[in-house]
Amino acid sequence: MVMITYVEPNGGRQEIDVPEGWSLMQGAMSNGVDGMEAECGGSCACATCHCYIDEAALALIPPAADNEAAMLENVVAERRPTSRLACQVKATAALEGILVELPAAQS
Amino acid sequence: MFSFDPYSPAVDADPFPFYRTLRDEHPCFWSQEANMWVLSRYADIVTALNDWQTYSSARGNLMTELPNRAGATLGTTDPPRHDRLRGLVQHAFMKRNLASLDGAIREAAIDALQPLLGQRQFDFVEDFASKFTVKVLFRVLGLPPGDEVAVRDRAVLMVQSDPATRQKGPAHIAAFNWMSEYASGIIAERVKQPGEDLISQFSLAEIDGERLSEREVLLTTTTLIMAGIESLGGFMSMFALNLADHAEARRRVVADPALLPEAIEESLRFNTSAQRFRRCLTRDIELHGQQLKEGDFICLAYGSGNRDERQFANPDVYDIDRKPRGHLGFGGGTHACLGTAIARMAVKMAFEEFHRVFPEYSRVQEQLPWMPSSTFRSPLRLDLAVG
Ligand code: HEM
Ligand code: FES
Repeated sequence: MVMITYVEPNGGRQEIDVPEGWSLMQGAMSNGVDGMEAECGGSCACATCHCYIDEAALALIPPAADNEAAMLENVVAERRPTSRLACQVKATAALEGILVELPAAQS
Repeated sequence: MFSFDPYSPAVDADPFPFYRTLRDEHPCFWSQEANMWVLSRYADIVTALNDWQTYSSARGNLMTELPNRAGATLGTTDPPRHDRLRGLVQHAFMKRNLASLDGAIREAAIDALQPLLGQRQFDFVEDFASKFTVKVLFRVLGLPPGDEVAVRDRAVLMVQSDPATRQKGPAHIAAFNWMSEYASGIIAERVKQPGEDLISQFSLAEIDGERLSEREVLLTTTTLIMAGIESLGGFMSMFALNLADHAEARRRVVADPALLPEAIEESLRFNTSAQRFRRCLTRDIELHGQQLKEGDFICLAYGSGNRDERQFANPDVYDIDRKPRGHLGFGGGTHACLGTAIARMAVKMAFEEFHRVFPEYSRVQEQLPWMPSSTFRSPLRLDLAVG
């Protein structure tokens, strides 16, 4: 398990133990975290699992592949350098304790 | 001795008691009859869906596969090939790009309802769901009008299997061959005279400077037609069944159609129409004390994960206030359904219109005739008494 702190759009924090190998989207959806839509179910086809990863953690995560980079263009909330699609980021031991912030809008 | 046979009519009719035993006593179960492992707990299925490197789709994803499909379609390839194929079609299925179909979908629902006005009883499957779904799919895929009934009949047969032989029988294969020929005719026309439609684009598309193989174009198109028509029609019938059986939930969504989307999600969970799909292991793994070998097939029982009490409280209760986020009704991960947005939008509109005309309905048959299928679950016929 990897403990991830999700910051919901209203500022609420949820500390969730996400099984290693699950995506950060899956961890949120299976645990009732607010602020994630994930219309496409994790196939990198909807851009409604937009999140901001805390800057320090960004270096621990493989950079976005082409399909994620392309789909990120479709996010509706402000796109920042820390923007990622949560369905494309896997929980690994290295991410223990990181903050994942969810934007006010996904669609 | 416990056995689980996804080909048995008992499982078609009511898989849920079997699933409970699987989850509680045999979370990683070898089914002799299906010749594969069965994963039934929510968490194990999600883990598999998040790991296509281990749980590969390249040797087929239907429990009983159709000839030649493995390796040639979205559902039966792994990344990177899968992602590139998907990249070619998914723009057409994104929510924002579907908005232009709003009017056409609503019209399809209103048209399909027309002949039912004034009737006291009808078969929801034949008389409404299938008429509506073919119309919608023909629009989305840009198929020429005229062949709707023939296409729909074959799409439904293709996903079935023979309970005795545990394989596709001659009628199922014939339906598949008919659909391939139909698709092949459309593709040939579009290659000659390309339009703006999805099949034209797909037929002419290139990946890394290379045109797709004929087999890929053909089988992907065939699969899109099958997946679209059968899955959408099957789910609509399950949704109608749930609302017929749960009068209070129905009255609430009739009074306030804004509740429909959540009711749809709960039905995707509660009566998962896409019950079981399969994967193939690319390496040896150990799971719940069992040794699984590279090359073994694995059944992901979405219908069971969706009733797993480890994930959903009171899973056998139909509750439209539940908000079952993370359910497995559309699968998940890399191979999650391509049609999620169009399916949600079409079902919502279909029922908005249906409820305008028929706010009250109930089920007539006590026993439903269930489709013989190792993958999908829906009634072949659903008689509703209305008014
Ligand atoms: C409510 C209706 C529907 C349900 C319940 C449903 C269910 C599913 C499920 C569970 C999968 C995952 C298969 C796997 O794990 O191997 C899937 C995949 C797929 N579905 Fe649907 N589906 C529906 C409607 C549609 C529609 C309308 C279309 C298209 C026109 C469609 C096209 C596809 C395709 C192409 C795949 C393969 C995606 C991939 O592997 O990347 N589906 N569907
Ligand atoms: S869930 Fe759709 S892009 Fe991540």
